[in-house]
Amino acid sequence: MLKLNKKNKDEHSMFSNIMYFLWLMFRLSPGLVIGDIMSGIFRTLPPRLVSVIGVKYIIDTVVEGKNLERIYYAVLIIAAVIIFGNLITILYREFYWNMERERLYFKLNSKLYEKAHLLDLESYDDPDFYNNFILTIESSSDNIQGLLGLVQNYVANLISLGAIASVILAVDPVCLVIILASILIFLPLSSKIAELQMGRRIDNTRYHRRSDYFQRIFYLQDYAKEVRMNGITPLLMDRYNDAADDVIDNQKRYWKKISLCYGIQQVGVQGMGFMLILPLYLGYCVLVKKTLSPGDFVATFNGAYSIALSINFLTVWARAVMSERAKMIEKYREFLKADYKIKDGRGKAECAEPKTISIKNMSFTYPGNDKPTLNNINLEIKPYEKIALVGYNGAGKTTLTNLLLRLYDATEGEILIGGENIKDVTVASHRDRFAAVFQDFQTFSCSIGENVALDKDFDSAAVMEALNSSGFTKELKYGTDTEILREFDENGVMLSGGEAQKVAIARAFYKKCPYVILDEPSANLDPIAEYKLNQTMLEAAKHKTVIFISHRLSTTVIADKIYVMENGEIIEAGSHEELMELGGTYAKMFTLQAEKYKS
Amino acid sequence: MRYVKLHENEKVPVFKNIAYALKLVWKADKKLFLSYMVSYLADNIFMRYIQGVLFLKVLLGVIDSGGDFNLFLRDLLLFFGVTVFIKVVTWWSSYIRQVSTKRVLKVLNNMVFEKAISLDVAEYEEPKFYDKYQRATLVMSAGYYDVLCSDFADVVSSVLSLIFLLGTVASIGPVYLLFLIPTLFVFVIELRKSKKVYKRDWEMAGNNRTKAYIQRTVFLKDFSKDMRTSNIFSVMMKRFDKAIKENVKILKSYGFKLFVYSMISTLFSEFIPLIGTYAYAAYQFVRKNTLSVSGFSVVISAFTSVRESITLITYCFDEMAQMALYFQNLHDFFDCETNIKDGEKTAGKFESLEFKNVTFRYPSAKKNVLENISFKITKGETIAIVGVNGAGKSTLVKLLLRFYDPTQGEILYNGVNIKEYTVDSLRNAFATVFQDYRNFAISIFENVICRECSDEDRERAKSALKKAGLWEKISSMPSGGETVLTREFDENGAGLSGGENQKLSTARLFAGEYEIAVLDEPSSALDPIAEYKMYESLIDATKDKTVIYISHRLSSAVLSDRIFVISDGRISESGTHKQLLGSDGEYSRMFKLQASGYVREEGENDA
Repeated sequence: MLKLNKKNKDEHSMFSNIMYFLWLMFRLSPGLVIGDIMSGIFRTLPPRLVSVIGVKYIIDTVVEGKNLERIYYAVLIIAAVIIFGNLITILYREFYWNMERERLYFKLNSKLYEKAHLLDLESYDDPDFYNNFILTIESSSDNIQGLLGLVQNYVANLISLGAIASVILAVDPVCLVIILASILIFLPLSSKIAELQMGRRIDNTRYHRRSDYFQRIFYLQDYAKEVRMNGITPLLMDRYNDAADDVIDNQKRYWKKISLCYGIQQVGVQGMGFMLILPLYLGYCVLVKKTLSPGDFVATFNGAYSIALSINFLTVWARAVMSERAKMIEKYREFLKADYKIKDGRGKAECAEPKTISIKNMSFTYPGNDKPTLNNINLEIKPYEKIALVGYNGAGKTTLTNLLLRLYDATEGEILIGGENIKDVTVASHRDRFAAVFQDFQTFSCSIGENVALDKDFDSAAVMEALNSSGFTKELKYGTDTEILREFDENGVMLSGGEAQKVAIARAFYKKCPYVILDEPSANLDPIAEYKLNQTMLEAAKHKTVIFISHRLSTTVIADKIYVMENGEIIEAGSHEELMELGGTYAKMFTLQAEKYKS
Repeated sequence: MRYVKLHENEKVPVFKNIAYALKLVWKADKKLFLSYMVSYLADNIFMRYIQGVLFLKVLLGVIDSGGDFNLFLRDLLLFFGVTVFIKVVTWWSSYIRQVSTKRVLKVLNNMVFEKAISLDVAEYEEPKFYDKYQRATLVMSAGYYDVLCSDFADVVSSVLSLIFLLGTVASIGPVYLLFLIPTLFVFVIELRKSKKVYKRDWEMAGNNRTKAYIQRTVFLKDFSKDMRTSNIFSVMMKRFDKAIKENVKILKSYGFKLFVYSMISTLFSEFIPLIGTYAYAAYQFVRKNTLSVSGFSVVISAFTSVRESITLITYCFDEMAQMALYFQNLHDFFDCETNIKDGEKTAGKFESLEFKNVTFRYPSAKKNVLENISFKITKGETIAIVGVNGAGKSTLVKLLLRFYDPTQGEILYNGVNIKEYTVDSLRNAFATVFQDYRNFAISIFENVICRECSDEDRERAKSALKKAGLWEKISSMPSGGETVLTREFDENGAGLSGGENQKLSTARLFAGEYEIAVLDEPSSALDPIAEYKMYESLIDATKDKTVIYISHRLSSAVLSDRIFVISDGRISESGTHKQLLGSDGEYSRMFKLQASGYVREEGENDA
C-alpha cells in the first residue's frame, strides 16, 4: 500500500521538488524547457528595456541637441529588437510549443498510467490515499503548464529586474533606493494577503462541497424521479441555502481583511512611493538641483513600475505558486516511487489445464477494519469442478474471489494452485489464468471485440462465438469493430443493463484459461436469459473450473459443490442434495425461495 | 474557458444574450453589477489614464515650461489625493463585489432549482435537452455569471479610458493618432484569430474527451478490477496514443494560419504605433526642431495604455461571446414549457385505476414502447407486472406517475383522467420505490421522512426502518438515526451497502402516507433471506393498500392477486398465478424455467 498521506520527514524541499519535475520534463523534452525560458526572455525584456532605455536615449538626445541623425539609428534598432522578439516568440509558440506540449503530456501521463493501473486495489479503500492519487493524475497536465509558465516568467522577471535596476542605478542610486524601499516596506502585506486568500479558499471549499452536493441533486438526471415523488425538495433547498449562506459569511469575513490589505498596499507603494516620493525627488533633481535630465525622469518613472511588477512576481506570487506546485510534485514523486504490496513471484504460471486450488487457513482483514472479513477459510477445488459460493450480503464471498485473483493478498494463510503458492508466480501470469466477471463489471468505450477480448488484438470469429454463447443478440453494424458507448464515437452503440452483462459474460467464454469466476452473473437478466445462460455456461465451461457467486439459489443447484458463507466463515459445504439433507442455512434459504415456486 | 465546443455554424445572438445575462444578474442582486462598474471604472481609468498618462503629462508639462518647483509640488499632492480617493473606492467596491457574487449565485441557483423541479422527467431523458441544461448550469457552477459581469465592466471602462487616451494624444499632436489608429484593427484581427482557435479546439474536442475518458478508466475505482485482471489497459493506451497524434496533426495544420494572424496583430499593435511615433518624433525634432519632451513621452506611454486597453477589450469581448451561448441555454431552460400540465382536481381516496387503450412512444423513438394497454385495478388489489427486460414495465410506471403522458388513450384514477388532477396530488397518492432508487447525504431519519424531523417523525422513521430490516444496523451507529449518509461532508457519516441503501428507500414507503404502493424491483440488491423478510414486511405494511409490483423475479408474482405479463409492449396475458400457470403461455414458460432449479428438488423430495 502506498503511503502518500503520511507526513513524513523525507518530504522534499520546495526547491528540490521544482527541480525534480523540471529535470523530468527536460529529459523527456529538452527543447520545450529551453524554448520556454528563451521565449519568456524574448517576450518580456525588449518592451521593458525600450520603455526605459529607448525613451531615455531619445529624450536625452533631443534635450542635449547633438548627433541628431543618430535618432534614426536608434529608432531602427528599437524596431528591430521589438520585431525580432515577437517573431521568435510567435514562431516558437505556433510551430513547436503547441505540439510538443501535447507530446510531453503523453509521455508523462503514460508513465503515470503505467504505474496507476497496476496499483494495489487496497489503495482505493483508503480515501486519503485515493484523493491524493486522483489529484496526482489530474494535476499532471497542470504541472506541465504551470511549471513551465512559472519558470519562464521567473527567469524573464529576474533578468528584466537586473537590467532595469542597473539602468536606474546608473541614473541615480537614490531613485533605486526609494523604489526598492517603498516596495519592500509593504511586501509583508502581500504575504498576509496570500495567507488570507489561502485560508478563504480552504474554508470556501468546505462550504462549497456542501452546496455543490445539493446543487448536483437538482442538476443531475439520476435524482429526477426521486425528488419528484417524495416531497423532499423543500428540505434539500433549505440545506443548499444554509450552505450558500455559509459561503457568503465566509466571503464577508475574509474579504473585509483582504481588500483592506490590498488598499493599504496600493496606496502605499503606488500612491506614496511612486506617485509622491519618487516624483518629488526626481522633480527636485530636475528642476532645482538640475542634476537629472527629463529623460532620466521618464526612464526612472517607467522603470519603477517594471521593478514593482518583477519584485511582486518574484517574491509573493511566484513563491505562492511554487509552494503549491511543489506540494503537487511531492505527491507525484511519492506516487512514482511507491512500492506495490502485491509483489511478483519468480515463476511464471502456465495457462493450461486446471489444477487443484487449495485455500489453507486463510484469513483476511481489510486495512483499517478491526474485524476480519474472512476467517480461517479452508477449501479445496478440484479440476473441472463447478463451485457455488452463497450466503448473506457481506458474508465475504466477493472478498474470497478478490484474494484468489490476488487483488488483495491474504492476511494469513495461503492459496495454492497445483501445489504452488500463487505468490510464487508473477501477478500478471497468475491473473491470466482466470477469466473473471465481476458484479460491478464495466464495459469500456471501445469496440465490442476489444470489450470481449479485453485486449487490442482479438479473434473476430471467437468474439462472435462468445457473444453468441452469452445470448447477446443485438445487431452489430460493423461486426466486432462496432464501437460501444458514445465517449469516442457519436454513433457508438448503447447497451442496456442486460446486454452489458451479456458482453461481460462473453469475456469468460472468450478467454482461453482454466479458471472462471462469475460474481452474480445473472443479476440483470430476465428469467429466460438466465436459464439460457446457465445452460450454455455448463456447456462451454466443461473443461474449466468455475467458481460462481449467486443469490438466486436456483442457479446453484447445478454446482458440484456449494459453500455457504456467513460472517467470513464457511459454515456449510457439500452438494445441493447433501446440504438439503443437512437442513442448515442453505436448506432454509433454498426452501424460502423455492416456496414461491411450488405450484 | 477557451475550450468551448462551438458548433461551426451555430449563430448565437451575442448581444441579446449579454443583455439577458446582465438583466438576470441585475435582478438577482444589483450590487454585483454596480460594484463591478465602480471598481473597474476607477481601476482602469486610473491605471491607464490618470497614472499612466495624465500624471506624466502634467508633471512633464511643468518641467517643460521652465519648471516652477512649487507648482510641481502642488500638482503632485493633487494627484496623491486623487489616488487615495480612488484606492478607497476600489477597496470598498471589491469587498461589496466579493460578497455579492455569492449572493447572486444563491439566487440564481434557487431559480434554477425551482424551475428544474417543475420540469418533466421526460426532459431529463431527452439527451439534447439534458445536454443543453447541463451547459446552462455552468453559468452557476463555473461562475460564468460573474465572468460576464466582469467582462462587461472591463469593456465599458476600457472603451472609456481609450477615449480619454486618444483625446489626450490628439491634443498633443493629431498626427500621432495616425499611428495609434491601426491599433484598433487589432480588435478585428484578434477576433478572427480566436475564431480560428475555436475551430481548432473544436476539432480537438473529441480527442480531448478521449483523453479524459482514458484518465478516468485508469483512476476510477469502478474500472479497477477489470483493469487489473485483463489486458484492456493496452487498448486504452492505444487510444490515448491515437488521440495525441491526431491532436498534434490538428495543431500542426493550424500553425501557419495562427502565425500569420499573430504577426499581423503584432504589426498593428506594436510595430506601427511604436516605430511611427518614434520616427515621427525624430522627424519633427530633426527637421522642425519643435518636439516637446513631455509630448513625446506622453505619446509613448499612451501607446502602451492603448495597446493594453485594446487587448483587454478583445479578450473580454471574445469571452463574452462565448459566455453568451451558456446564457442562451439558461434562457431556453427558464423558458422551457412543461408538457405535463396540471389539472385542477385533487386526487382523493383511491377507488380504482384504469388504463384505457394506452399507447406510448418515447419522443424520439421509432417504435411504440406500449401498445394499446388496457386494464383496471380496484382498491386493495395486489398486482404484479412481469415481463422480460425492456418489455415496457418501467414505462408503465412512468405513465402512471405522469412522468410522461400517453401518446394515445387515457389513464383514469377513480374514473377521471389523471390529467385532470394536479400533478402533486396525483403523485402524492403513490409511494414508489424505484429500481434506481436514490438516497441523499442528509440524516437517515430525514431520508425516510423527507423533511426536517419532529420527535413524532423520528418515531415514525424508526418504526419504518424496523420494518425495512435496517434499524438494527442504524441503532448501532453512534448517532443512530441522526447519522448523516455518506462521508462526503461529514467525517462521522455512514456509508451503506447496496442492500442497505435499498432497504432505506423502502423504509420511505413504510413511513409515508399513500394510496397505492409502486415497487419497481424492490429487492434486486438483497440476499435471499433479506429478500424474503422484505417481502414479508411489505405484505404486512400494505395489507389494506393497493400494491403494484414490478419484477422479473416471478416469486413476487405468486403473492399477487392478479398478474399482467407484458411482452413487446402489449399485455400478453393476465390473471392469477394459478390461471396463468394453467394457460401454458409465456408466464408459465418463464415460471417453469425459473422454478426448474427449485422444483426439481421438490419433485425428488416427494418421490
